[in-house]
Amino acid sequence: MEYTHTLVDLNYLDLIIALSLMLIAAGLYRWYRIGLEVALIIGTVRTFIQLLAVGYVLKFIFDFNRWYLIVLTLLVMIAVATRTVVQRQQRKTKELPYIVGFAITVGSGITLFVITQVIIQIEPWYEPHYLIPLAGMIIGNSLNGSTLAVERLDSEIASRRMEIEAYLALGATARQAALSCIRSAMKAAMIPTINSMMVVGIVSLPGMMTGQILSGTSPFLAVKYQIIIMYMIAFSVAISSFLLTHLRFRRYFTAEHQLREEAFS
Amino acid sequence: MVCRVKFELINVSKIKNGKPILRNINLQFLSGSKYTILGPSGSGKTTLLRLLNRMEEPSSGEILFDGENIKNIPVTKLRKKVGMVFQIPVVFEGTVEDNLLVPYSIKGIPPDKEEIKKALTLSGLKESFLSQRAMDLSVGEKQRLNLARALLNNPEVLLLDEPTSALDYETALTLLDSVNELNRVLGLTIIMVTHQVEHMRILNGSAIYIENGTVLDKKTTQSRALI
Repeated sequence: MEYTHTLVDLNYLDLIIALSLMLIAAGLYRWYRIGLEVALIIGTVRTFIQLLAVGYVLKFIFDFNRWYLIVLTLLVMIAVATRTVVQRQQRKTKELPYIVGFAITVGSGITLFVITQVIIQIEPWYEPHYLIPLAGMIIGNSLNGSTLAVERLDSEIASRRMEIEAYLALGATARQAALSCIRSAMKAAMIPTINSMMVVGIVSLPGMMTGQILSGTSPFLAVKYQIIIMYMIAFSVAISSFLLTHLRFRRYFTAEHQLREEAFS
Repeated sequence: MVCRVKFELINVSKIKNGKPILRNINLQFLSGSKYTILGPSGSGKTTLLRLLNRMEEPSSGEILFDGENIKNIPVTKLRKKVGMVFQIPVVFEGTVEDNLLVPYSIKGIPPDKEEIKKALTLSGLKESFLSQRAMDLSVGEKQRLNLARALLNNPEVLLLDEPTSALDYETALTLLDSVNELNRVLGLTIIMVTHQVEHMRILNGSAIYIENGTVLDKKTTQSRALI
């Protein structure tokens, strides 16, 4: 049977109805003096403005449909992701933005290439309806993985300093000495992805799949897309966190496999 | 015994954060001999030790190992020849055996069970310890495990950085006995940092007294060591 469902159009009145539900929610929180009503209202307004703005931006990009604008959009997404990862770190070192940017670009870049050019084979290669939402999901997950990887690597190296020195004293290279910290960081980066792969479809229906089903795509096709996306997210987290941990741990060591005292201060 | 020079320090100085830690040190350590480096805390004893296996670099001067500048020896190779035991023993995750497999995994060679048993015995641990969780050992046993682990690299020199400071009196004495035994049986050069004169006497090696980053002359050393 042909799948004929199409998405119902929404006007601004529909948005206002939804907005009034938010007012009820905020009122409830105010009544119970939970103190979150201001944050709820700010969140409500921000959601409205940010998404509306992004809607216009996407519409412009889709209508303009030039490869350079789409590549520029991807670069902006990577730059914002990089900034977010760096901001969440305690040790914001000079080289951190570069290595984070590199790791996210390579990890997401390879993934995005495979999914759009090899699997879906979009035409033209920069078709923004595919490229931009897929890039958003992949870069977003690389961002989370990278944040966790750097955070864990830094804290592990700081707390296992004596263990690392003991390794070095036995004649280990810097990489051998830091390996257990690198492992632990790569593990921390991947765990949220594994968790979501474990429960996907059982506990939660992923946003993209829900969106596709709502817009009339056959559930089977939506599921196939979702499966590919899940694998691609895991792959991009693996590559990003691998690159990032290997570029990051070096700052703690000299070329002569000594701990760099100043890296800890 | 061939009394060749194992380590030679020529005009070695070390400055850390703008503060001189070691000033113009000239020293010789003979192969197969025992040395105790004494001095008040903060005098530069530990730093001196850490320069020998290049855990740190001198700010100026040269250090020769078997006549060769240590900068010309690959650092991972040097550290296998010059083992180190730290003040606070460091044990890795897993059993005692897992800990003793680490030197092999670093070198990328298959473990030698006989060698492991020998290192264990020389360090004063029984074979039955192998299956025990390393974290559960007493401090003294952990320090012996550190000794055994260092021995598995077949070192020529053993650097000991206040190895007994975390141990009680009796345990410290038996550990020092083991160190003496290593020198006697394996001919290891022993360089030990301590601030306890009694431990220096038990080790019965040459005393080097460091104060404010300089090595005191023999006469002053003798008078300080007698205190």
